[in-house]
Amino acid sequence: MDTLAKLQILSGAARYDASCASSGSKREASSGGIGNTSQSGICHSWSDDGRCISLLKILLSNDCRYDCAYCVNRSSNSVERASFTAREVVDLTLEFYRRNYIEGLFLSSAVMQSPDSTMDRMVRVVETLRLEEQFGGYIHLKIIPGSSSELVRKAGLYADRISVNIELPSQASLQRLAPQKHKDAILDPMALIGREITSSLVERKADRRAPRFAPAGQSTQMIIGASPENDFQILRLSQGLYKKMNLKRVYYSAYVPVSDDNRLPVLASPPLLREHRLYQADWLLRFYGFSAEEILSDDLPFLDETFDPKTAWALRHPEFFPVEINRADYATLLRVPGIGVTSAKRIIAARRFSAITPEGMKKIGVVMKRAKYFIASSGRTFEKPVRTPALIRQQLLLGEATATLPSRQLVLPGLSL
Amino acid sequence: MNAMKRYLYDGTADGLFSAISWILEEEADPEKVILAEREQTLFEDGFFINTNVAQAELLFTRLRNCAPDAAYSIYMFILAEKCGMESSLLHYISLVFRHGDKVSGYLTHPAVRDIVSIAKKAGRELHRMKGLLRFEKLQDGAYLAKMEPDHNIIQPLASYFRTRLRAQHWFLYDVKRRTAAQWSRGVLQFGTIEQFITPALSEDEKKVQLLWQTFFKTIAISDRKNPRLQKSNMPMKYWKYLTEKQGD
Repeated sequence: MDTLAKLQILSGAARYDASCASSGSKREASSGGIGNTSQSGICHSWSDDGRCISLLKILLSNDCRYDCAYCVNRSSNSVERASFTAREVVDLTLEFYRRNYIEGLFLSSAVMQSPDSTMDRMVRVVETLRLEEQFGGYIHLKIIPGSSSELVRKAGLYADRISVNIELPSQASLQRLAPQKHKDAILDPMALIGREITSSLVERKADRRAPRFAPAGQSTQMIIGASPENDFQILRLSQGLYKKMNLKRVYYSAYVPVSDDNRLPVLASPPLLREHRLYQADWLLRFYGFSAEEILSDDLPFLDETFDPKTAWALRHPEFFPVEINRADYATLLRVPGIGVTSAKRIIAARRFSAITPEGMKKIGVVMKRAKYFIASSGRTFEKPVRTPALIRQQLLLGEATATLPSRQLVLPGLSL
Repeated sequence: MNAMKRYLYDGTADGLFSAISWILEEEADPEKVILAEREQTLFEDGFFINTNVAQAELLFTRLRNCAPDAAYSIYMFILAEKCGMESSLLHYISLVFRHGDKVSGYLTHPAVRDIVSIAKKAGRELHRMKGLLRFEKLQDGAYLAKMEPDHNIIQPLASYFRTRLRAQHWFLYDVKRRTAAQWSRGVLQFGTIEQFITPALSEDEKKVQLLWQTFFKTIAISDRKNPRLQKSNMPMKYWKYLTEKQGD
């Protein structure tokens, strides 16, 4: 099989992995080598589904021993199988990089003979790139659950980011849909990676030449809508992963029906709106100081389809508003629908010079059609003061009916903050 | 109300900075002054300020020292090649000398907002082109990338690729402005190209392009097709030189 045919099979098999980030790592180019990485990450193209392409995202092989129900590469599925040689991956990466098609390589794989032999072959690819070719571009390496600690450590030394996919939001679902993957085989390497990242940061504080371990951190991915967990369970899991495992990102991937296995739900189309709302809630966890328990509860276990999670929270908490824009602190401003991280920072910077008027709010970039119900300036509210949440709810909906619907495809660009 | 005092300069960047430097020296309240490009008419209203390159450079050095972020915004603003905004620039610079870098947060001031938002736009395109630029390998082993950006960003773009693709011999060519950058054996040069002759591609170039086009097609999930989102992230004006969008 020639490289073109393999590329078709092995990029097609990798497309369900949501991660595309190339951010969070800064490496200068070596004098004889090729490539560097930039802190903010760079998108190089956008595919027909609107998702950003920044890395050559491929599997080393799709020849899988495992039979996970939700996966297109499961052993019982009759798809064409292929495997790259290390040289093929190295050459593709370099040829693409020289033409500025990509920021680097995203390498994952099906489990071939065993987790360790697969991981070993993957590590050898990136070893060749880094040591022989002096490649300084971005590398994201997937960890095969069940690989030895030694291989995980080696992976972290060569890659900018490493990730172990958690796959499904609960152990019960994992057992049902991916019986060959065990919870410990996923969580153990995650914990190991977390520890190695922390200790590498400590060592590098003492000595700048100490080796870096996965400088862009670790991420994971779970499939949404293939199993019965609710959004509250999912958000609490993400919160735990951010807090306890120190993860950089959790990616959510709407389940795309690839199998008629009766263990799986029958969906007309992937649950994209749900995925979108989960990403919004995830942003609230990471950048807006919300906890999962503030966003959802046992009585309210699913995210609102009509309103974004922050607006939904604001409507449930009328006692918090109106927020005085010329006095409120950063954390309070962030709670206002229509004010994001950027505009909250801008408000604080601008009011050092003079008090901000409603006009000024617009100039700063605040989405006034949402924010106006929740703010006050110098004691005056923008809308009539006595407004019940029910009225605001109606007003927000009517106002938004004329605006174009929010885009439904929402894997956010790789520029994480 | 008094008429605003009106000054003129010759239309060059050096002229602009010398005029601003002169006004900041001589005028008590630069916010009450208008600065515009001289038009070659007989009876033009305003006082012409001569260009003084040394003065212009001195002003920019002072800016860089006292407010490096604002100086970078001004650099990006100049790359945007916007006409008719000289007064805004003058007012912005006078505020920079008063408040330093934090002035860029004063977005409720019209001049600050003008300069910062235009500089941001240029900066955004620069960032975008870092991703969207496409090189083709030529017969002699060098790489060539053509582009038509809205802003004149060839200089910062070339310095970016100088570090990234340092072992490669490459050219950038701005088709609209007929300007080019060349990186070869550790030297970066800029120039203009009078007549562009399309060079022959290397033998394997089409093969590599086909690989990339194939990858681009297969990586999309067809159940999630979303051309609107694709276009909003990657406006069609950039498709002309995108390898993956040839034949679309």
